[in-house]
Amino acid sequence: MKYNLELIKNKRKIIGFSTVLILLSLLGILYSTFNTSYKKPIKLGMDFVGGNELRIERVCEEECSSFPPDSVLEKLREISKNKNVLNNIKLQFQNNNKLISIRTNYLSNEESNNLINNLDNIVGPLNYESKNSRLIGPKLGKRLLTNCVTSLLVSLFAISLYITIRFDKKYALLALLALFHDLVIVFGIFSWLGIILSVEVNSLFAVSLLTIAGYSVNDTVVIFDRVRENLKSTKEGYNETIQLSVNESFRRTTFTSITTLFPLLSIILFGSYSLFWFSLALSLGIIVGSYSSILLAPSFLLKDKG
Amino acid sequence: MKRRQGWLFFIIFLLTLSVYLLINYPLQLGLDLQGGSQLTLQIIKEEGKVTRDELEAVNSVIDKRVNNLGVSESNLQTLGGDQLILELPGEQNPLVASRVLGKTALLEFRTQKEGTSSDLKTLQLLRLSIKELIKQYSTGEKSQYDANSLKVIQDDLKVIGQELNYSFTSNDLYGKLIEIKKYVNKEITNLFIKTDLSGKDLINAGRRQEQTNSNWEVLLTFSNSGGEKFSEITKSIAGTNQLLAIILDGESISEASVGNQFANTGITGGSATISGNFTAENARELEVQLKGGSLPLPIEIVETNTIGALLGSKNILKSLYAAISGLIFVGMFMIFNYRILGFVSVLSLVLYGFFNLALYSLIPVTLTLPGISGLILSIGMAVDANILIFERIREELYDGNTLTRSIDSGFQRANSSIVDGHITTLLSCFVLFLLGTNFVKGFAATLGIGVLISLFTSLNCSKTILRFFTTYQSLRQKNLYLPRNNFSN
Repeated sequence: MKYNLELIKNKRKIIGFSTVLILLSLLGILYSTFNTSYKKPIKLGMDFVGGNELRIERVCEEECSSFPPDSVLEKLREISKNKNVLNNIKLQFQNNNKLISIRTNYLSNEESNNLINNLDNIVGPLNYESKNSRLIGPKLGKRLLTNCVTSLLVSLFAISLYITIRFDKKYALLALLALFHDLVIVFGIFSWLGIILSVEVNSLFAVSLLTIAGYSVNDTVVIFDRVRENLKSTKEGYNETIQLSVNESFRRTTFTSITTLFPLLSIILFGSYSLFWFSLALSLGIIVGSYSSILLAPSFLLKDKG
Repeated sequence: MKRRQGWLFFIIFLLTLSVYLLINYPLQLGLDLQGGSQLTLQIIKEEGKVTRDELEAVNSVIDKRVNNLGVSESNLQTLGGDQLILELPGEQNPLVASRVLGKTALLEFRTQKEGTSSDLKTLQLLRLSIKELIKQYSTGEKSQYDANSLKVIQDDLKVIGQELNYSFTSNDLYGKLIEIKKYVNKEITNLFIKTDLSGKDLINAGRRQEQTNSNWEVLLTFSNSGGEKFSEITKSIAGTNQLLAIILDGESISEASVGNQFANTGITGGSATISGNFTAENARELEVQLKGGSLPLPIEIVETNTIGALLGSKNILKSLYAAISGLIFVGMFMIFNYRILGFVSVLSLVLYGFFNLALYSLIPVTLTLPGISGLILSIGMAVDANILIFERIREELYDGNTLTRSIDSGFQRANSSIVDGHITTLLSCFVLFLLGTNFVKGFAATLGIGVLISLFTSLNCSKTILRFFTTYQSLRQKNLYLPRNNFSN
């Protein structure tokens, strides 16, 4: 019970730190919007722009022989009927040359099938049981994007409404401030990841933002609940009560974050690759969310002395 | 105390029921776990929204086509107001389905306009030479065509293009060939006048191999009124130099003359054949399309996901590893920090897992990868409620309260925070479920169900188990509930 976070002393530092994080995130978002080839606040993945993604394993006796991707592409160009298929193609070998992963523009089922057949001729035999292929038309992509953005806005609105009804205006406003702080930072991190590592976001990213929203508000609410409860019965000063409330909730908030991070970590370590970035986004959101509910939101409650 | 005992039996009853459900009604696995293909079909309407009736009509045509294709255990459902989702489990190639489903298959019979004979001849000749070029191109590429023959095809195509006054839109040679073939077929269609006979007048379609060569032909059987229309039409052009064209989706696929001997009665018998150089595959696809009828609105395949069976089972294994290791991590953490209380939370977590899975098989919820991640994530959230309660209990104990009192007020005081937290998460889930795609819906469903169940397990089950434990004298020592001092200080 001896946690002693010096909230009152460090108010400036905390707010300063968050401001820096927010500015860095905004910088990433702006840089991504104006200074990249894709001109979007964040690098949109196949779900949103359409395209074709193919992953398939090769059948090899022991070790898979290596092929330089460029020569494979060259051969593909030679034997392909429809050359349009090969515009913007990206080909990679992974897992000791065993796994082939290909990205192209949107293809019809027919074209994609031809591509796989041609590939089989060059680097085969291929194991069709291990195939994972996704074809998303550009129209559907646009629709998914609008869908995701609407879901985000609607549910942020719903959460805001609930919080405003449930709490006093001041608490509600701060809880929402913390919420947007968390979302902007996670979004910013992925903007930077897109710029530096070409990480793309898919519809699961929107899901992770929504989950983070629910989680972050939850965390802040628990601490504010404690503040309200203590303010009713306290004999100490206002600022001290808030600091005490935070310290009393500190164990709960960190523990909850840890127990939520454990399963996410398991997914990152053992789960399917398609859930990797999703779990990472959630983990980041939970870390930032805990920070903002323990340190940032209560700091705003503190009154300046004098 | 008695009331709690009632709860204990109720919980044991629920657990037995869950196990029973899980054994007898196995979980439904999504395609990403069992392997298979999923196609999303978008209905295209230029103006206005797709109405319910139109959606139904498209749905029934697609359904018929899928059935006639003979794919096993397929599943067709509508999504939103204007999309259909077709699931083909197992190793069925989505290629054939996509070819058959994507076409409108509007069949028309048209008679030739008078005085267009020479135009038709020219177009038919052009079509023949285009087909020849396509053949050359297809055979050429297998043996690594030399630049020379490619040049010849290119030049020939250029001449044809100039003759038709046609400007190409695609860049590569093959695309151009296909494009101009379509164009010529449409031009031929324009030389013919609509009749009132169409695909609606069919009652059946079949196919057979032509006797003279290896090509296939498609057999059409008309309804009574269709047969009459057909004989009327054939009568009107019999013995003239006007031809009868069979047109599919605006492209003429076959033009035939009607002999003089039919001038009196027309072709009777209510059937006809289309012979347009079909391969066995093409003939079968056309047969399936005609049997299912034409689509009232065109559709486009906007998404295809294919997952091999091997990858599916790997995904199951990986998810299992993730779920179990997640549970173990969380369990160890809780027992280390809360001792007996931690053990209680592990027990209620196990209950939580069983109840969740049982509900999935009861509702039923199809389990997908995002769904599993929702479940795994909800483990963390379920524990959250326990942590809130245990922290309160700990505080009460530190304040010197008795164990029973501490437990009671711990559960009571944590209530409002828990409910608030759960409601915000449920709100997100609800919105996700309403607006999300299929993929996202799976996540929202499992997370939402998890959050609801955790209200029961963490509030009720933990309390009951805890009460049960405290009936044993040896388990009532306070130090079993307070963590080691060196840890918390």
